[in-house]
Amino acid sequence: MIFKDKQREVTEKITSDVSRLNRLDGKSCRLVPFSRMTKSLLNKILWIIGFFFCVCNSVWCEDTKTFTTALTGKYPPFSYYDSGGKLTGFDVDIAQEIASRLNLKSKIATTEWDGILAGLLVEKYDAIIGSMAITPERTEKVDFSNPYYFSGAQLFIHRNNPHKVYSINECTDLRIGVVLGETYQQYLEMNYPDINVVTFKSSVEIFEMLEQNRITGFVTDKLVGAWQIKKAKRPFVPVGEMLYKERIAIPVRKENTRLLSDINHALAEMEKDGTIKEIYSRYFGLDSTNKNASSKMPTSVIVKKLLKGFGVTLLVAFASILIGFTLSIPTGLLLAHKGGKLLLPHMITRAVVDLIRGIPVLIQLLFVWLGLGLRPFPAAIITLGVCAMGYMSEAVRSGLMSVDLGQGIAAKALGLSLIDRFRFIIWPQAFRIAIPSLMNCVVALIKDTALISIISIPELIREAQSIISVTFEPQKYYLIAALLFFAVTFPLMKLAGMLEKSISKKGFEND
Amino acid sequence: MIDINNISYTYGDGTKALIDLSIKLPKEHIFAVMGMSGSGKTTLLNCLARFLRPQTGTILLNGKDIYTIEEKEFRSKLGVVFQHLNLFPHMNVLNNLTLAPCRVQNYLKKDAEKAAGEMLERLGIEELITDYPGQISGGQAQRVAIARGLMLKPEAMLLDEPTSALDAKTTQEFATWLSELKSDTSFIIVTHDTPFAELVAHQGVFMEKGRVTQTGRINDIVKHIKGPITI
Repeated sequence: MIFKDKQREVTEKITSDVSRLNRLDGKSCRLVPFSRMTKSLLNKILWIIGFFFCVCNSVWCEDTKTFTTALTGKYPPFSYYDSGGKLTGFDVDIAQEIASRLNLKSKIATTEWDGILAGLLVEKYDAIIGSMAITPERTEKVDFSNPYYFSGAQLFIHRNNPHKVYSINECTDLRIGVVLGETYQQYLEMNYPDINVVTFKSSVEIFEMLEQNRITGFVTDKLVGAWQIKKAKRPFVPVGEMLYKERIAIPVRKENTRLLSDINHALAEMEKDGTIKEIYSRYFGLDSTNKNASSKMPTSVIVKKLLKGFGVTLLVAFASILIGFTLSIPTGLLLAHKGGKLLLPHMITRAVVDLIRGIPVLIQLLFVWLGLGLRPFPAAIITLGVCAMGYMSEAVRSGLMSVDLGQGIAAKALGLSLIDRFRFIIWPQAFRIAIPSLMNCVVALIKDTALISIISIPELIREAQSIISVTFEPQKYYLIAALLFFAVTFPLMKLAGMLEKSISKKGFEND
Repeated sequence: MIDINNISYTYGDGTKALIDLSIKLPKEHIFAVMGMSGSGKTTLLNCLARFLRPQTGTILLNGKDIYTIEEKEFRSKLGVVFQHLNLFPHMNVLNNLTLAPCRVQNYLKKDAEKAAGEMLERLGIEELITDYPGQISGGQAQRVAIARGLMLKPEAMLLDEPTSALDAKTTQEFATWLSELKSDTSFIIVTHDTPFAELVAHQGVFMEKGRVTQTGRINDIVKHIKGPITI
C-alpha cells in the first residue's frame, strides 16, 4: 500500500519506471555509471547526461533488463521441480518465451498462491504467469492480458466410447465419476440431474475405474485430464465442449499498460507461429487452445440422434394431443352449457381454461416440473396435454354451439337417449365444425414441444443442440430441425385448410 | 285415441298459450289443427309431444296419461315432424331412417336397412336413399322426414306446419301424396294453411287465443272462418 500511495503522487510514468529500474537491477543501472564517474570529470559529465538519458528513455532501459514473473512451483504440469531439481512446466516455458520475445532476461520467482496477487501489487515482480483465471474480483485489482490458454470442467470418456457418448447431454442415467467435494460434483448435480454421478476419493481411483470401463466417464479440469492422458498414457478422450470455461491469463499492475500491450503482442505472435501449441504439446496429450473437440461425431450417430429426438418430439406431441383432446370433450360441453344445474362446473371450467390460455406454456411447464417436482416426461406430457385441453375445449365449445338446437330435439322425438343423441347427432356435427380449429391447436402444440428441451427432455431441439455442441454447425442442424418440424406441421395445416373447404362446401343447411 | 282434457299452459313471461283446452282426436287418417299465428297451435303440439308439460289438465293416449308412459315406448307411439324437419345433415337418407330403429327399437342394422328401403319405396322416394339432406329438395326432405318418423311405426304422427317451406305447386303435390299414403298411422297436421288442410283432412279444429272455437268437418270450419281469416 505504501508503494502504491507513493506511486499515486508521481505524475510522470518515467519516474515510476526509474524506481522500478533501480529495483529490478541495481547493478546495471547504478553501478555502471558510478564506475565511469571515477575515471574522469568528462566521464562524470557524460554520466550525468547518460543518467538523464537513462531516465528519459525508460523503454530502452527496460528492454535490456529482466522480466520478473511469479508462479507457485507446486502446480504440475504448469510449474514444478523436475527430478533434477530444476523449475520447469508449462507456465515456466511460457514465461521464458515471453521474456525472450520482449528482449528481457527471464527471472522467475516462486511464491505461495494465497499471496501471489499481493506480491504483484507491491512490485515484487512484474507479472504472474502461474495459471491464473480471470475473475471479476481479480480484475478489480489488476489488469489481465489476453488468455494464453483455456481450461475448465471437461467430460472424459474411454477411447472406445462403448456408450456412444458425444457430449454431456447423452449421459442420462450413465455413471459419471467425480472426486468427492470437488466443484464438479455440485455442478453436475445442479445442471444435469439425470446423470448418475458417482463420487470417488481421488482422481487416481476414477482413472482406474474408467480404464476398466466400470464408469462411462469422469468430469475434471480439462488440463489435468489431458496431462494424465499424456503422462500416464491413459486411453481417455475428452468429448464435447467444456462444461464451463476458465480463461487463463497474465495479470499485471493496472498502471503497467505498456507492459500489458507488449505481453499481449508477444502472446499473439506465439499463438500465430504455433509456439504456444508447441509448448503445450510438451505437457499435454491434447490441444486446449483449439476449440474443436477431439472426437468427431459420426454421421450415423448424428442421424440416429436427430431421428430419436424427432421421435421423442412426436411421441410427446401425440400423447399430449390425445390427453388434450379427450379432456376437451367434457370441458367443451361444460363451456357450451351456461345455465341450469351445471352452472358451477361451467364457471370452474371457464376459469381453468382462461388460466391455461392466459399463462405462457413455458411458465406452466417450469411450474409443473420444478414447482410440483414431476419428472421431465410426465411434466411435459401433462403440461402440454392440459394446454391442449385449454385451447381445444374452446374449439369444441364453438363446434357444439354451432349445432342447431333442433337437431337434439328431433333426436329426442325419435326416442334416442341422451348419450345416443350426443354420440350420433350432436358430436359428429360439432366435431366436423371444430376440425379446422382443432387442427390449428395440434399444429401449435407440435411447435410448443420445442419448449420441453428446457426441462432436459432429449427431443429434437435438444438433440440438435447436443450435435451442435460437438460439430459447431448451428446453421445446418437448426435448419434440419426446422425442416423436420415443418414436414409434420405443413401437411397438417394443408389438411386443416382442405377440411375447412370441404365442410363449408358440403354445408349443413337442412331443408 | 288422444284425449286432451282441460289443459292450460302459461309461459314464464305470463303469456297464456293454452286455456282450459279440451279436444278429442279421433283415430282418423288425417286430422287438422288450424289457427292463426299465436293461437297456441305450436304450444299444443309441444304439449302433445311431451316437450312442454301443461300446468293443469291431462293428455291421454289410448286412455293412458302420456306422462305415465315410458320414454322409448311413448316416442315409438307418437312421432313428430318439425316445421324445420331437422333431418340429420351428416347422415345420408338411409342412416337418417335407420338410426332410431337400431338405437331405440333394437333392430339389427340389416333389418332396419331393409325396412328403410321398403319405406322409401312405399313413399316413392327410393332414389334418395344415398343422398344427404343438403342435396335434396324441400318437398323431398319433407317426405324423408315423414318416412323417418314412420320407421318407428307410431300410432300417430304430429306434423308441424308441413307446408311452410313449400311453394304452391309442391304443396299441391305433397297434399296428394299425403292423402294417398297407405299407412296405419294417424296424422295430426298443425297448420295455418287452411287450403292445404281442406285438401288433406276431413276433420279438424280451429284455435283462437288458446281456445278451440270450431270443431268438426273442415269444410264447415272453413265456411265459418272464411271472413276474418287472411292467409
